[in-house]
Amino acid sequence: MKYYITLSALILVLFSCHKKDSEIDGPSLEDLNGQFSVLSPLAASIDSVDFASGETVYFTALFSKTSEWNLKITGLVSGAVKTMTGTSNELNASSSLWSGETTNLPIFKNENCKVELTFPNEPDTLIAYVKVLQAKVNSGFLISDFENGFNSGWTSFIQSGANMNFQVLSDASSPQGNKYYNMAGTVDWDWLIGLVNFKSTAYGGAPAFPLSANSDNVYFNVMIYGEEGTTNSLVLFQFEEDENSNGIFSSASEDMYSKEIKVDWIGWKLISVKYSDLVNLVNGVPAAPNGNGVHDSDKIKTINMLHLANPNSGFAKSKLDYIIFTENGPLVP
Amino acid sequence: MKALLFIILFSTGLSAFTQEGKKVQFVGGARSLISQSDFTSDVSDTVTARKTTGGYALIDLGFKINPNENTEVLGMIRINNQFGGFYGAGVTFDVRQIHVKGVAGKVLRYQIGNIDYKLTPYTFYNHNPDLLVQSLGINKIKEEVLNYESFYKNNNWRQQGAAADFAIQFPKLIQELKFNGFITRLNPSASNVLERLYGGGNVIMKQSKYLTIGVNHVRVFDLLQTADNDNAYRNVVNSISYDLNKDGEKIKLSLDGESGMSKSFSTQNAEGGLSDFFIHVKGQVSFKKCGLKLKMAYMENGADFRSFGAQSKRMDFNQVNSFYERYTNSQILRPLSYYDLYNDPSLYSSSISTKIMSFNPSINNVLPYGIATFNRQGFYVGFNYSDPKKIIAADVTFYRLGEIRGQGTTQLRSFSYLTSTVSFNLSNWMHWKKKQVLQLGLAYQETARSSQFTFEQINLKSLTASLGLELEICPDLYLLGSAFLFSSKGNESMPIRTPEGIIINFNEYLVDGREINLSSGIKFNFSKEVYLAAVYESNKNNFSAENPYKYNQILLYYIMKF
Repeated sequence: MKYYITLSALILVLFSCHKKDSEIDGPSLEDLNGQFSVLSPLAASIDSVDFASGETVYFTALFSKTSEWNLKITGLVSGAVKTMTGTSNELNASSSLWSGETTNLPIFKNENCKVELTFPNEPDTLIAYVKVLQAKVNSGFLISDFENGFNSGWTSFIQSGANMNFQVLSDASSPQGNKYYNMAGTVDWDWLIGLVNFKSTAYGGAPAFPLSANSDNVYFNVMIYGEEGTTNSLVLFQFEEDENSNGIFSSASEDMYSKEIKVDWIGWKLISVKYSDLVNLVNGVPAAPNGNGVHDSDKIKTINMLHLANPNSGFAKSKLDYIIFTENGPLVP
Repeated sequence: MKALLFIILFSTGLSAFTQEGKKVQFVGGARSLISQSDFTSDVSDTVTARKTTGGYALIDLGFKINPNENTEVLGMIRINNQFGGFYGAGVTFDVRQIHVKGVAGKVLRYQIGNIDYKLTPYTFYNHNPDLLVQSLGINKIKEEVLNYESFYKNNNWRQQGAAADFAIQFPKLIQELKFNGFITRLNPSASNVLERLYGGGNVIMKQSKYLTIGVNHVRVFDLLQTADNDNAYRNVVNSISYDLNKDGEKIKLSLDGESGMSKSFSTQNAEGGLSDFFIHVKGQVSFKKCGLKLKMAYMENGADFRSFGAQSKRMDFNQVNSFYERYTNSQILRPLSYYDLYNDPSLYSSSISTKIMSFNPSINNVLPYGIATFNRQGFYVGFNYSDPKKIIAADVTFYRLGEIRGQGTTQLRSFSYLTSTVSFNLSNWMHWKKKQVLQLGLAYQETARSSQFTFEQINLKSLTASLGLELEICPDLYLLGSAFLFSSKGNESMPIRTPEGIIINFNEYLVDGREINLSSGIKFNFSKEVYLAAVYESNKNNFSAENPYKYNQILLYYIMKF
């Protein structure tokens, strides 16, 4: 009998390990049915932040239940907006970290920002403020942000049409800094309204823009403004490669890749394109390049920016700002 | 090695196949039912046909062929003629069952085709978690019909596949090792649905008459490359079962149980699967002289324990009725009532589901998937009594269980469940020759969850009670009577699950209703396997407070087995 008692005890010991389960199955009933209340108000982790030196800021708040939330940071001078969304019962560093980037252009400036926390399913709105001491600095090769006016190393051609306005302007609508390049006019005999040649030689006399040779890692970024009431603007960027490095671009034997952008939106928009995705365009139609067919991003000698419009479409207008090459990813302003 | 072991021939198998040396036998059954129903609801209803007449006559005709003494082939067809159908209209022909079985090499017993199979209560077992009280009288007739229709017998599942078993006997240390194995098909492959099979088996070691230990294994598995899908599902259950007993002159002691674990996952997300374990141990003491048996058990079924062969329900509570499916002028769906479970055999199926099936918390919230219900821990105690004069027999069990993991909250549900059946054999008491039996059945359940928040609080009480009477008034002529009461009141928070079983939300379940069924009838036994019964019943249901209803039925059964 002892044998059986021992055996049964052994079986019990083997399998009778009590389990404790602190998890729950399914969504929290409290989250689904409980009363919403703010247990801890919205606050910034620091009052002022220097994004240029790598500082970040995050926001904290605590609610009585898991809720959908929208966080909106608005630059009080620039009007820049950064939004974050989530579903949780608190805001913390992992859910609301801000490194100075923007969701909707313009880019944040050195300015005070209003932070609003709203809840789609609740009437509450929580507000806090944070001061940007230094705006975020974007790494990359800056072609121009037009803050220093028109570079003397560039060349341009402007048609003599009606209401022509190709110049650097300064006003509050600039998506970055205070200035941008305005392009406007009516040319009823030609698609071309005006153009600017951004030459590599304008940047210290370099034979080509100082970019990585890996065209898969090189991104071209530009902010373009679409004017309300006009959707006829086409902005064409042409990238001339000096493949043989003789200081001259030969259209017959060297590659020129292009990006044509139809400006059919209103307001500022960031356009980013990987250099290796660019194609050769002939009258807007992709065609085989005339050179080696290799995207030699380290041999771009000149970038031509052409503002085009159908001559029958009347007045055309758009704006440019913050033309910049970035590496390893598109610009996150 | 001599006499070390020898393989058993199967005791009942061979001779049973060739009864009286007949090579071909006819087996099967026949049944006829004629019903007249009168349905009324308390609200205005000029759309629903108040009175309906229906019924059918069917015959299950099987050919059992024994080409040799070791082989049996069975094919059974069903001819079903709906009441009022003649000359082909309303007549259906179906294959009801087909199998081949036999003994290979005087060693291996096999069966191919339809197999009735079970292993252990936690691996592969057809629990009956919804008909909580035992039936007698008219309800017994109805339960026998639905059990026959779905092949529910001895907690077996009727599946299509193959099974085999053999045993080895030893002269020392171990008396016998028995090996059982099966494989069935759960679903065929389709365009992107993989072929799903269910298989397993066990090895049962009978050490002596005192000790038996089994090692059990079942698994649901998809066969890769049978469809355009690389994500195969797996559900694996392993367990050890044991039965230890000491049979004395006055007292018999026994300790039995089963413990094991399960793992469910998809091959492309093996880490995201579920795994858990279960424990079930039961001790029993039998006092032989007085006919009293006491039992006490502890069970702990993990929240993520999944064993679809043991957790599939006989019926899906999401389906709709076929009897007065809609009623009222708005033609609303008539929800499944408890008594529909007795009335309508078409509600049941014999499929193993690999999804967590829905259940009615009013009927069984404590163990909706039988004793293998996941997320339960606690104990149960009970007794079984049968007096030496066979006048009274009682079977009472009380469960006190709780959840292991909360649903939507860390607060846990607690469950109380009392189930009892008491039978009075009046014939033995009064020393009458004719059979006179009265049976009372009761199942009472309480579910509670306390919390500081009202929306987390649960309080649900359900009562199922039945009374059955069989009085033999003259030889082979019985007076039958049944009363059935089901009431439920309270609230529950019912989980809404994805097809994968993940809870994504909860439905508030509120109930306050009662269903009463009273019936009486007569039954005449032509023989042990053939009888005719005429029944009148009245059913009243107010689970829908706005649309209560009642119906009366006259039923005429003719049932034959051969």
